[in-house]
Amino acid sequence: MHSHFLLAWRLLLRDWHAGELKILVMALLIAVASMTSIGIFTQRIDRAMTDQAGQFLGADLLLQSPVEINTDIINRAKRAGLSVTTGISFSSVIVANDEFQLTHIKAVDQHYPLLSQIKISTVLYGEEHAVGYGPAAGEVWLAPRLFSLLDLSLGDSIELGETQLKVGAVLKYDPGQASSFMVIAPRLLMNIQDVEKTGIIQPGSRVTYLAGFAGQLSHRKTFEKWLSPELSSSQKLVGGTEGSAAVNSAMDKAEQYLSLASMLSVMLSGIAIAMTANRYGQRHFDQSALMRCMGASQKSIIQIFSLQLIILAAIGSLLGCFIGYLAQEGLLLILKDFLGPGLPSAGIYPLLTGFVSGFVTLTGFSLPALLRLKSVPPLRVLRQDITPLPVSSLLVYGLAVSSIILLMWWQSGQLTLTVLVVLGVIVSVGILFVISFILIFFSRASVGLLSGPWKTGLQQIIRHRKENQLQMLAFGLSLMILMTIYLLRTDLISRWQGQLPDKAPNHFVINIQSDEVQAVQQFFSQHLLDNEGLYPMVRGRITEINGIDVMAVVDDKTKRDESLKRELNLSWTSQLQTNNKLISGQWWQQQQAGKAVISIEKGLASRLQVGIGDSLTFKVADQRIVASIQSIRSVQWDSFQPNFYVIFPPSALDGFPVSYISSFYIEPAQKKILNQLIAQFPTLTVLEIDAIMQQVKQIMQQVTRAVEYVMLFVLMAGMMVLVAAMQSSMDERLHSAVIMRTLGAKKSFLRRSHLSEFSLLGLFSGLLAISGTEIIAYLLYNNVFALEFELHTGLWLTGPLISMFLILMISRLYMKNITQQSPVKSLRY
Amino acid sequence: MLSKQVPALANPSGDMLDILTAVNLEIKPAETIAIIGASGSGKSTLLGLLAGLDQASSGTVYLAGKNINTLDEDGRAALRGEKVGFVFQSFQLLPSLTALENVMLPLELQSNKAARTEALNLLSRVGLSQRLEHYPKQLSGGEQQRVAIARAFVTQPEILFADEPTGNLDNATSQHIIDLLFEMNHEKNTTLVIVTHDEMLARKCGRCVSLENGRLHHA
Repeated sequence: MHSHFLLAWRLLLRDWHAGELKILVMALLIAVASMTSIGIFTQRIDRAMTDQAGQFLGADLLLQSPVEINTDIINRAKRAGLSVTTGISFSSVIVANDEFQLTHIKAVDQHYPLLSQIKISTVLYGEEHAVGYGPAAGEVWLAPRLFSLLDLSLGDSIELGETQLKVGAVLKYDPGQASSFMVIAPRLLMNIQDVEKTGIIQPGSRVTYLAGFAGQLSHRKTFEKWLSPELSSSQKLVGGTEGSAAVNSAMDKAEQYLSLASMLSVMLSGIAIAMTANRYGQRHFDQSALMRCMGASQKSIIQIFSLQLIILAAIGSLLGCFIGYLAQEGLLLILKDFLGPGLPSAGIYPLLTGFVSGFVTLTGFSLPALLRLKSVPPLRVLRQDITPLPVSSLLVYGLAVSSIILLMWWQSGQLTLTVLVVLGVIVSVGILFVISFILIFFSRASVGLLSGPWKTGLQQIIRHRKENQLQMLAFGLSLMILMTIYLLRTDLISRWQGQLPDKAPNHFVINIQSDEVQAVQQFFSQHLLDNEGLYPMVRGRITEINGIDVMAVVDDKTKRDESLKRELNLSWTSQLQTNNKLISGQWWQQQQAGKAVISIEKGLASRLQVGIGDSLTFKVADQRIVASIQSIRSVQWDSFQPNFYVIFPPSALDGFPVSYISSFYIEPAQKKILNQLIAQFPTLTVLEIDAIMQQVKQIMQQVTRAVEYVMLFVLMAGMMVLVAAMQSSMDERLHSAVIMRTLGAKKSFLRRSHLSEFSLLGLFSGLLAISGTEIIAYLLYNNVFALEFELHTGLWLTGPLISMFLILMISRLYMKNITQQSPVKSLRY
Repeated sequence: MLSKQVPALANPSGDMLDILTAVNLEIKPAETIAIIGASGSGKSTLLGLLAGLDQASSGTVYLAGKNINTLDEDGRAALRGEKVGFVFQSFQLLPSLTALENVMLPLELQSNKAARTEALNLLSRVGLSQRLEHYPKQLSGGEQQRVAIARAFVTQPEILFADEPTGNLDNATSQHIIDLLFEMNHEKNTTLVIVTHDEMLARKCGRCVSLENGRLHHA
């Protein structure tokens, strides 16, 4: 075995020097690097999310609640031996130097933080230091961004609601921030004692009350056991044994996209490896026969080639892991504003996964080709026509497909997505195969219509139908995957941006109290602000359907629906909103005012499986309201106007705590009006959607860049397939070209006929790819993204052109030899 | 030393086809023998059977005193590795190996630690010490065949089988290769079995047999 190892190593080195292994190694590197980098990246994000439990509010356990937290809970925790901190978080606009800025505010008490430390600096951009306390009363600490946005210096004052607060420090790091990747607004930390003075928190205001607990594990467990059944379903306990419940859905989506991209690049690399390994195997039939001739046993042959495979896998995987690690650092760099610094390290697991996956990919895709080498008969040295029996296709495809499923499943942890992707690719291959048949059929029919080199090219394609079909499939599939990923990215972003109408409301005002409604309306009309009117909001929760507990009626999926987990904003109006459409039932008559009837949004109705005449019970404050459904509406959610799941007729919700919401559009130049609005109504909260839109756009850009970055792997893997496919037929092409030259064909003729053959191959592959892409896009848009499908006419033009260009480029690398070398030299081997 | 009785042979497609009938041949140690015959007369088939590269459907082949019919493919391989060397019409050099590496390969398969030194000696013996690092593609036909001869002798085989060793070479080069083959054979005292239709080459052998319609005629 030892001597075989040395021999295998030497033979491998010789093959490497002779350039036999380049594509195989490249494909392996891409597969491992893409898996490793995305593995490390997602692992780090996951860890950051898990760590948040201990980091948030600097506590072991954190209770988040939309209503004030019962003092019983606080007392109980203290009695259980836990230290407790309480706080409130909410969004509001702060004003300074006539500028407004939406801010994410957290008000904390003197015990904050229980764990970890806050990092502040007393000079903007100066050195930071850690402190174990929050701001004193009358003082706020601001995120660095706020200083530039509001043109502030330390010691200045800012206006928050009805009070003024002094800027005491630059907030560099708050233990809570690790958790909230998606909080866009800059942060402000204040003392909880000042909250009342701001007058911002009113009944119905959207705030989150927080209570953090820290202490020994046993104490925490006892407390948690007591607390869990006490909580209402809108209250959420994170940390502790529950783990990271607050997994961020946006990041989850991004991770899914990245996993998908990684899966596809692994799959493409696998195809490239399989094709190259097959060629490698074929090119080693002679070597194997010769070695058998020289006395090597079948066992030795298998050992030598398996050892080569293992050595190759080990080196390739190690190197791939290293490249993957570097690539992942690049990914973090792109997303650094988004993720913040100091992401926890990923540990060894993703590297291990990457390393093992290198083995699985290489083995799964190339073992069948190498197994054939074992059975090369020695007589081949005398008779070149003798080739070993092909390995059963069940073994080849079975091994490849199962190793791919295993890998993708292991890497993504998502069996459904894995199976869907694999099935998708298999079905696509089937479809592409049929289309390629049709193309070849039409080529045959039309060959008589052509002349010159185009005719020769087409004839070549028809003559080598099988090989060309395989190449078209390989080219088409990788191009299709690339185009689909590109389309998804482009379409999703541009349509998302395109869906916003001009002059869509860009500001929301919330927390308008009943006694301010008239004055606010007057203000709007006085300043000619385009607005949709003021809508009342009463917060209530759906508890029963037709008198039965809602959780007992709905299916498991709906139980997790946001509309059941949190309180809904219930509203009333006499007129149907302009962006709502009545789908069934009747809008109420004037005389129905005060009646317990509702109009429900169609999505919610279908999730709850309710229709006209069914009754819903709402819990509002401490009271129950039973209302029957009188109509079902469709709602245009992205209109940026106040929209509601459930609407009552006027007066039906009288007597409940209510606040009002409105949205309006103002030009950026008119922004000063906001100052007057806030000055006149200090307790209003103005949400500057334009700023959020801008920030979301920036984030989208970063995510887009990250996605593009990951697309690079897919692109490289796709290119490897193209090169491998080209290479697989190159020996034969070279040989026949050399014979043609020997028979007197001019270089220019050969060049022209190759050009036409490859152009046609590129054209056909491009057409295959774009047809496949459109089918996939149609299915995805209709079934997954709920977007309207349109044919991508631009891609029908550019796709085949790009495909032709790529294939011509790659073919040039190989065909150069034919025209540059003398036929004698080329014929020799 | 080596004898053969073959009435029929299965062709690879599985159909029975009589290629060789009534072949009775015994080759003595250190003998040089040429098997001549027209194209398609079954010369190469006979060579394959004699060298244990293939199995006869009936009859017996003894190679270096061993009945190879009783050996499985691995057993025959071991015997070949120990006793037999080959030179082929199409040289059969591995394109991804240099001249030196090609010659080292059989010794490496036997885990011979002196593979490099011995290969260097043999290549220098065939006059190619200046072409060690060249790939087959970079060598002329004659040079390639000299590398093949060096490779065949490097394991010091008892028997050397040569299948049309000059078939791909011009006259002058052929003469040179023939001389080299016989010199080496003489030096190493090897049994030499040559399949050829080159009469010049056949005449240099101690004995000559011809194959016609699958039958062997002793000349």
